[in-house]
Amino acid sequence: MRISTNTLYQNGLNRLSQLQVEQDRLMQQISSKKRILTPADDPVGAARALELQNAQRVNTQFERNRMFAENGMNAIESNLQSVTDLLIAAKARLTEAGNASYDDTQRSYIAIDLKNDLEALVGLANAQDGSGNYLYAGYSTDTVPYTLTAAGATYNGDNQVRQLQVSNTRQLPVADNGPNVFQANGNDIFAALAAITDLLQTPVASDADAQALQDGLTAASDALQGTLDNVLTVRARNGSALKEITALNSDGDSRELQYAKSLSELQDLDYAKALSDLAKQQTVLEAAQKAFVATTSLSLFNLI
Amino acid sequence: MSNIFNIGKTALNAAQVGISVTGHNIANANTEGYSRQVIVQSTNQAQNWGFGYLGNGTQVDTVKRIYNDLLSRQISNSQSIASSINTQLSNINQINDMLADSEAGLSPAIQDFFDSINDLSSAPNDAASRQAMLSNAEALVSRFNSLGTRLQEMQSSVNSQLTASVNTVNHYAKEIARLNEAIDLATTSTGQPPNDLLDQRDQLVLALNKEIKGTVVVQDGNKYNISIGNGIPLVNGLTAYSLTTVNSPTNPGKLEVAYQVGSTVSILSEQSLQGGVIGGLIEYRRESLDKAQNTLGQIAVALAQSFNTQHQQGLTNNNVQGGNFFNIPSPQVNASSRNTGNADISSSITDANLLTASDYRLRYDGSNYIVTRLSDNTVQTFGSLPQTIDGVSFTLAGGAMNTGDEFLIRPTANAATDLSVAVKQIADIAAGAPVIATSAASGNTGSGAISGATVSNGYASAPLASPFTLSYNSGDLSGFPAGEAITVTTSAGVTTTYPAGSTVPYSAGATISVAGISFSLSGAPADGDQFTIAANTSNAAGDNRNALQLAALQTAKTMLSGTASYQDTFNQLVSYIGNRTRELQVTGAAEDALLAQSITAQQSESGVNLDEEAVNLIRYQQAYQAAGKVMQIASTLFETVLSIR
Repeated sequence: MRISTNTLYQNGLNRLSQLQVEQDRLMQQISSKKRILTPADDPVGAARALELQNAQRVNTQFERNRMFAENGMNAIESNLQSVTDLLIAAKARLTEAGNASYDDTQRSYIAIDLKNDLEALVGLANAQDGSGNYLYAGYSTDTVPYTLTAAGATYNGDNQVRQLQVSNTRQLPVADNGPNVFQANGNDIFAALAAITDLLQTPVASDADAQALQDGLTAASDALQGTLDNVLTVRARNGSALKEITALNSDGDSRELQYAKSLSELQDLDYAKALSDLAKQQTVLEAAQKAFVATTSLSLFNLI
Repeated sequence: MSNIFNIGKTALNAAQVGISVTGHNIANANTEGYSRQVIVQSTNQAQNWGFGYLGNGTQVDTVKRIYNDLLSRQISNSQSIASSINTQLSNINQINDMLADSEAGLSPAIQDFFDSINDLSSAPNDAASRQAMLSNAEALVSRFNSLGTRLQEMQSSVNSQLTASVNTVNHYAKEIARLNEAIDLATTSTGQPPNDLLDQRDQLVLALNKEIKGTVVVQDGNKYNISIGNGIPLVNGLTAYSLTTVNSPTNPGKLEVAYQVGSTVSILSEQSLQGGVIGGLIEYRRESLDKAQNTLGQIAVALAQSFNTQHQQGLTNNNVQGGNFFNIPSPQVNASSRNTGNADISSSITDANLLTASDYRLRYDGSNYIVTRLSDNTVQTFGSLPQTIDGVSFTLAGGAMNTGDEFLIRPTANAATDLSVAVKQIADIAAGAPVIATSAASGNTGSGAISGATVSNGYASAPLASPFTLSYNSGDLSGFPAGEAITVTTSAGVTTTYPAGSTVPYSAGATISVAGISFSLSGAPADGDQFTIAANTSNAAGDNRNALQLAALQTAKTMLSGTASYQDTFNQLVSYIGNRTRELQVTGAAEDALLAQSITAQQSESGVNLDEEAVNLIRYQQAYQAAGKVMQIASTLFETVLSIR
């Protein structure tokens, strides 16, 4: 077969530029650490990578939501711990007040203690989280939930429960409302404490008075116990929600690992292979260059 | 003796011509489109001397170019296909690169936006988180805008490339016609082929095929007639016709290729424009660019519409129901410039969930309105308007269509560039819900509790006029609003619908939906316990119910009839463009290889080989020397005769 001199040069050029394109591609892959440079390199892989990145971002956002939820729940837990301590202490005072050997003065001291407890309890019920939102005002997070009155405390919030999306399918309460905690099951701890404070300050002059005191102490004690039970229930619920958050966090972490691993498998470059390809390419390019020079330098004109 | 001189002279002459032609070959070894030339030699007429015929030397019959018509045609064909694919490839690469950019792509902007809504649900009353959501919405919209603008620039680029290519075609057509004339003249006047002119013309045909596929028919043995498409003449003998570009009658932003005869301009169908740069541009525009533009717009519309719908179900800081969060651009409606009627067609998007990425053509045939979905040419015929197809409405807003009148409706083409944020004040973000469910403040003796109420999409148009109170009595709930059916889904997932006015058996944890409002009751209510559901007139600072539902839209299947999320649709676009680019890369490489093969085959026949020419040079040089020797000997013989005295 006959070959034209032009073809000789053109083919040499084509081959060399082809090799250079391949080399450039390897360089780009190596410098970006990516196997897929554009969607055309692997259309399915590129779309899958986008999907994974999206899932990863959503997962990260839920993790952030859970952090906020956890903060709220921890604030409630430590607050209710104080509430529990306070209620137990108040209950001991009530038992003490029932001591038959106490006289009016001694009872009035206890009344002062219980009055303090009432005020402290209202203070705890008006607790705020780190961002200044009230824990027990329902959605009305900027409204002081309880105002102290002569007969106890009035509730100013609403009876909703604020929730956050903590996973794809799960919303968890991150705050509560006052009535759910302090006024549940027909008990009103504030009214009960106010009533018993009044009663303890009333001198016992007759048997009827003594009976009234006894009845009042029993009612207050029942209300206190009822509230204590309820607070413990709320704490248990809160605790199990916290536990769920922990479980969801570890699930989120393992998802994150899985996504990162899949993404890496999908789009990261195999360095060992890329570098060995590069070395191979270089050898081929060098050989092609030498061959080109060798073939084109032969000419009959050199000899005539 | 003079005979020997003559023979020597013819030989000398032939060798000289041979050296000339060889020199010409060497000189043009690198000239594009040059076919090597050889001399055709034959013996002169011999003379009968009685003892036999005595030769009279040699003559050069012609100088011929080594040219293979079939190989030339193969190269032209290959060239036209390869250049079509390479044009598409270089253009689609821009979209491919744009989508590959993970920083500037659409995904991060969508993700940032929804992240900010999630943050808003954590702190719905926080000015910073509200501002962050608004800023991220602006960032998302500007990302849509900039991607849309880049695609629009690519449309303009297609237009200018088409214009340039059409001008080139016209130039080539004129040159070929001029060469037809010159070749005809040269051939008829001398009877010899003007080889270099023929090469030039073949080279022009090849260059023309780079721009558009042209078919050559040889007329009268030496004139090329060239036609494009289905026999549309471009060059006819000595006449060249011209192409031009005109605005599409139904889409002013789009140039189409037209055929011009005198002052008559007729638009060529896309099917008749195959191959070359022009064919490539048109295919790229139809298959890739329009689709990318429409799909991006489709995502913009779907995101804006589903978001608006949910936003309207919420309550703002100003205690009113949420408004539109985004401004959704209307479909682009263009009347054909050839319409004779005065119809005014309006179009709007009624349901983004059903939307496709296609454009639609509306035609009136005198009695029926014919709507064609252009992506797959699905035709629907209607006796009257308005009609709604694929979530897009077609309405005759005024006037009337005449027979043959046409409109092009592009529902999503401009959506990405024209999308904007409607909400300007952070107080206008509707994070709360417009209803509130409460247990009776005092008096409920059971442990029944009512959840926070949420509303469905229909609520905004028919909000709760007055509160209703549910009462629990011996296992039943009563007091549902009049005229509204009640749907109960138990915690086990069993759904029962009760007619309006029914009492409903209580089931702890079941979700109850009535009048567009959903809530659930749990615990054990006591007889006489009451729960009230009322319109929310005061947005509480911590009410995040609507924010939670807005955030859920990120992964909700709100597109393609409920089968895809925004992100899914975008991923599909990335995959489509990626696949198409890959396909073009592969077929482009194959066509390039085929073209290179054809060129090698043609060059092996017609190309100059310098070693071969060196051999020829020596051959003719020696022939020349030998011829000289013949003449020298003749001269010596003559001298010999003269010296006899």
